[in-house]
Amino acid sequence: MNERVNADALAGRSSGRKLPPRILRRRYLLPFALALPIVLYEGLLIVYPIVQGIYGSFTRIELASSAATTWVGWDNYERMFSDPAFWKVIRVTLLFTALVIVVALTVGLLTALLFNRPFRFRPIARGMLMMPWAIPEVPVVMIFIWILSPQFGVVNILARMLPGVTQNPQWLQVPELAMGWMVLISSWKAFPFYSLVILAALQAIPQELYEAARVDGANRLQLFWHVTLPGIGSTLELLVVLAAIFSFKQFTIIFLMTGGGPSGTTETIVIRIFNTAFRFYDYSYATALGVAGFVVSLAVALVFILMQVRRTQESA
Amino acid sequence: MVAQVEESRRATSRRPVQRLINSTLLYLTVAVVSLIIVFPVYWMMISTFQPSKYILHFPPPLLPQELYFDQFAELFSEHPIARWLRNSFLIAVMTMLLCMALSVLGAFALSNLRWPGRNLFGLFLLVTQMLPEVLILIPLYILYRRLNMLNSIPSLALIDAAFILPICIWILKGVFDNVPAEVLDASVVDGCTELGALWRIVLPLSAPGLAAVAVVAFFFAWNEYLYAGIMLSSGDFMPASVGLSTLKAIAQTPVEQYMAAGLVFSVLPVVFYLAMQRYIVSGLTAGAVKG
Repeated sequence: MNERVNADALAGRSSGRKLPPRILRRRYLLPFALALPIVLYEGLLIVYPIVQGIYGSFTRIELASSAATTWVGWDNYERMFSDPAFWKVIRVTLLFTALVIVVALTVGLLTALLFNRPFRFRPIARGMLMMPWAIPEVPVVMIFIWILSPQFGVVNILARMLPGVTQNPQWLQVPELAMGWMVLISSWKAFPFYSLVILAALQAIPQELYEAARVDGANRLQLFWHVTLPGIGSTLELLVVLAAIFSFKQFTIIFLMTGGGPSGTTETIVIRIFNTAFRFYDYSYATALGVAGFVVSLAVALVFILMQVRRTQESA
Repeated sequence: MVAQVEESRRATSRRPVQRLINSTLLYLTVAVVSLIIVFPVYWMMISTFQPSKYILHFPPPLLPQELYFDQFAELFSEHPIARWLRNSFLIAVMTMLLCMALSVLGAFALSNLRWPGRNLFGLFLLVTQMLPEVLILIPLYILYRRLNMLNSIPSLALIDAAFILPICIWILKGVFDNVPAEVLDASVVDGCTELGALWRIVLPLSAPGLAAVAVVAFFFAWNEYLYAGIMLSSGDFMPASVGLSTLKAIAQTPVEQYMAAGLVFSVLPVVFYLAMQRYIVSGLTAGAVKG
């Protein structure tokens, strides 16, 4: 039942059910009293650090000595914008994010279309499909470090089948290969989630639409183009934004597998921020980079929210 | 109408051979896709459950040659993995309790009560959930350092709960939305307070949703790596996510132990996530479910 409700809602359709219950208001203070602890809690641990970070980016932070922080104005930002390494990080971040969105959503869409067809072992197959999503990131990293081992890694069997490959490649030492694997592993981890959401949207498309189109003589491709795609279009749009947010946040897989290397070719902005702060102990500059990342993710989050508002207005 | 009849006649008269080919193709595609998806997991199992003499060979055999079960005992005796898991468990339980207490209140306010600022509250929660954790890491690290809160399990649980709380609230909101309005209205008419209705009606009707929130919060903290690695730098408090990342395959840890460690750490989240996937997905797409 729940799946049904979600499917309807995800597909931007009003489900025809009664609106959620709203108790008659007698005491108006109650909701504020309930929300206040949460707002304070999130405020203290999320919002306050962000404000601190923005302030910190205009100062020089000395953690080792007890010297007071000194105000340096726009110095950190001037350094950032004139730093070629920063622009490289931006390029790497954009490339990684774009590739993960394309790969994860394409695979997610194709598997959703496949798993939407009726076949006997579908529940088992779906359970297996969710596997990558359910496994924590650190074991995922362990698995792939082992699979990609230049000595004994099983993936080398496939690589050796290619013409001209006589040696096991150093998978994470070659820039293009390393980036390729970061994208593939991140997509492998992320796509089941997108697939499940698309599957819910597919199941919300009324069967009558297909029947009507078939009566009109539509072939398979036309069915997909004129019935399926419009039916899941708004869900896909939403997932593009969500995928952008999730892949922009990706830290653990890249950090543990390449640490940003070889020579910075997989160093996305979140990895750069971490390395600047906790490898080079340059907290002020790292905070300025953090503010840059914050501006970007806030912009993407706003796009997501605007899309939400538009959808709820449409379905209302 | 005529076309429909014709269509169904054509479908039934379609030759069985053609249908067999179609369904074989479908099953074959499903099998290949599933294989690609689960292969890494399969390879973890294979590498765990056979002695490494088979696996430390190129090309390695793709099917298991011999079963072997001593790696778990060796793993636990050679690495402080029991302590890592205990630390993970403590962090996860604290995060879960804190999250459940707060998310019940938040979801009730978001779902069942109507008040000015309700939408703003929902948006606020959405945005906090979307920011990369690493952006907040540095200021929070500096703050924790000044307050002497580093290397403490409860301090880390406080942070983990802050990150996962918005998602938990959105999951529970979706669940609370399904409580029939008539039941709630009736209870209020009968003289029940709002909190009484939450306690006596909404919560008992939302047991699976509460379980989903418990699972999400618990395993977020269980899996979390970034903050655990920075805030709990001392070995005594190291949780399993950080501990596992220090293991080096072959060089320092035999492969079957290395993969066994990954397996031990993954079993619980996989079982519980798969059981609760519907609720978790609805929470992660929060705004998409109901604006």
